[in-house]
Amino acid sequence: MNATSSVSSPDEEKLKKHFKVTRFIMEAGVKLGMRSIPIATACTIYHKFFNEICFDDYDPYLVAMSAIYLAGKVEEQHLRTRDIINVCHRYLNPGSEPLEVDSKFWELRDSIVQCELLMLRLLNFRVSFQHPHKFLLHYLLSLKNWMNRHSWDRSPIATASWALLRDSYHSDLCLRYEAQHIAVAVLYFALQCYGVEVPSTDSAENQWWQVFSVDVTKIIINNVISDLIHVYTLDTEIL
Amino acid sequence: MGEVLCISVACGACCGGTGRAISASCPGTPSVSEENHTPELTDFSDVPCPVRALPPQWYHTVQVRRIRSLRARSNSDPLQGKNLGQGLQWQRKGLPFGNASSYLNLEKLGEGSYATVYKGISRINGQLVALKVISMKAEEGVPFTAIREASLLKGLKHANVVLLHDIIQTKETLTFVFEYVHTDLSQYMAQHPGGLLPYNVRLFMFQLLRGLAYIHHQHILHRDLKPQNLLISYLGELKLADFGLARAKSIPSQTYSSEVVTLWYRPPDVLLGATDYSADLDIWGAGCIFIEMLQGYPAFSGVTDVFEQLEKIWSVIGTPTEDSWPGVSLLPHYKTEWLTLYESQPFGSIWDRLARVMGAENLAQKMLKGCPRERISAEDALLHKFFSTLPCQIHQLTDVRSIFTVPGLSLKPEMRDLFFSHQKGSHHKPW
Repeated sequence: MNATSSVSSPDEEKLKKHFKVTRFIMEAGVKLGMRSIPIATACTIYHKFFNEICFDDYDPYLVAMSAIYLAGKVEEQHLRTRDIINVCHRYLNPGSEPLEVDSKFWELRDSIVQCELLMLRLLNFRVSFQHPHKFLLHYLLSLKNWMNRHSWDRSPIATASWALLRDSYHSDLCLRYEAQHIAVAVLYFALQCYGVEVPSTDSAENQWWQVFSVDVTKIIINNVISDLIHVYTLDTEIL
Repeated sequence: MGEVLCISVACGACCGGTGRAISASCPGTPSVSEENHTPELTDFSDVPCPVRALPPQWYHTVQVRRIRSLRARSNSDPLQGKNLGQGLQWQRKGLPFGNASSYLNLEKLGEGSYATVYKGISRINGQLVALKVISMKAEEGVPFTAIREASLLKGLKHANVVLLHDIIQTKETLTFVFEYVHTDLSQYMAQHPGGLLPYNVRLFMFQLLRGLAYIHHQHILHRDLKPQNLLISYLGELKLADFGLARAKSIPSQTYSSEVVTLWYRPPDVLLGATDYSADLDIWGAGCIFIEMLQGYPAFSGVTDVFEQLEKIWSVIGTPTEDSWPGVSLLPHYKTEWLTLYESQPFGSIWDRLARVMGAENLAQKMLKGCPRERISAEDALLHKFFSTLPCQIHQLTDVRSIFTVPGLSLKPEMRDLFFSHQKGSHHKPW
């Protein structure tokens, strides 16, 4: 793929590349019928892999395919290599015919399996992750009961925070922050975007987010949000 | 296809090629040729000398650096032009972890759910180990149970959870190196029929619940508790093992595949098709094992059919109603008309030895509640009066300390061992 902008730094190029490949993971994941947790796991595996090793040595799309396959196993939503290959082929070559089941196909399947083994070895079998999803779900349910019902119904806080969380996987946020902190931050950001206020925030001894997570700070929340904004900036630069 | 195919095919050819080159071009050491053998570790122990002479990369087909360095070179030379001096150097430095030649296997212990288990010895420190050899299928890669077991055990360090020492990858197999524990609860009970000594049951049960409290705190369910999966050391330490079916516990909205627990130790809610189980799943299994230890035979045994199993459970705890168990009628396999409507029975009248041990009946009754939400948690069960005769320091131990580090605490000889100790083989002496 060609560089989209000649002015950006090599680091920025890398981020863009990862952005594209993780979007590939998400879209292929949706086409394969994967639930949100396995998709999140696939993205986390992908980021962790490239966090460990040099980017140029491996084809990111092969790594992505293996990450999808491995995530299916980890999260008990088993996928067939064959389906993964077909979906990914279609994604990368829109409008093309399905791949012939020939030696090339088998070689591709073997490389997915080999790459899975490589990833397991590199990540030292640490492929179970705590994702922010369950925390976010819990926070949303608690907050909903606390909030004014009308102001809650008027603004799509749940949808927005869920979308923010999903999009966060375009970068390696999941590696740099704790799951609970990401969950708090996306919720905070969503509330801010829609100008929704949590009742009696001013008079409360503790901020609402301090109730959800004892060790989160305003600085962490701000950092997560600024990283999130950067993800969306990348998005506009790529397209 | 774009870059994906080109590069990945190249990589596939490279990875595959490396393996092929290794097995095809080693005429000097024929017994290591992996093609002619089933991938068992026996191969290595049979031929200690050639194995010892091999540099580590023979078994590291997926090591990152190696693949990189191989790329530009010919695949036909397995040593890739490196001189053997490197291998010698490696030998002098001592044996590394993560290497097949660092372990010798001694005997086959059994076939697990997805692997074969061998007793082995570490050549690094002389410790006995259990080698779980998992064969990988070419089409499917690493079995998911192996991935889950390893990824979960990596994060667990506790005296009552089996310790995963090391992971070794070879071309066709994956080997997990566990600490060696000499027997399991199933064998222990078979050697001591007619029920175990209540004092020992208390120690085993405390350790079982201690292990469960720990893994549940880490948001992990075992999901496959049965006596075979509880290892027992010479000292009487109990360790949870076989996490192949275990998984990270999520929020209750998540549903899991319902085919998980061996029928005898399966709670009624799961038998009725519930998929939103949580830590309470393991508590039921632990309760069944508790009764089995005291009584000498499984609590709800001998059936193969889900409905027979349910009838058997109802005959003890009573057929559930919406009053006794809110929501039971909504479960997928719930029938409005059960064959017999049972009344709940006092456990002591069914399992007589429960009534004879202080607190045992009450604890069993709290663990074997039909309604999963009412089952006692592992953490609370540790504080139950059944354990009140144990020294109180037992509650203050750090995770990795065994309960037998508490002074004065040790397993007592079972009745059978007292009677037959002079006739039996040496392996029973430690009791």
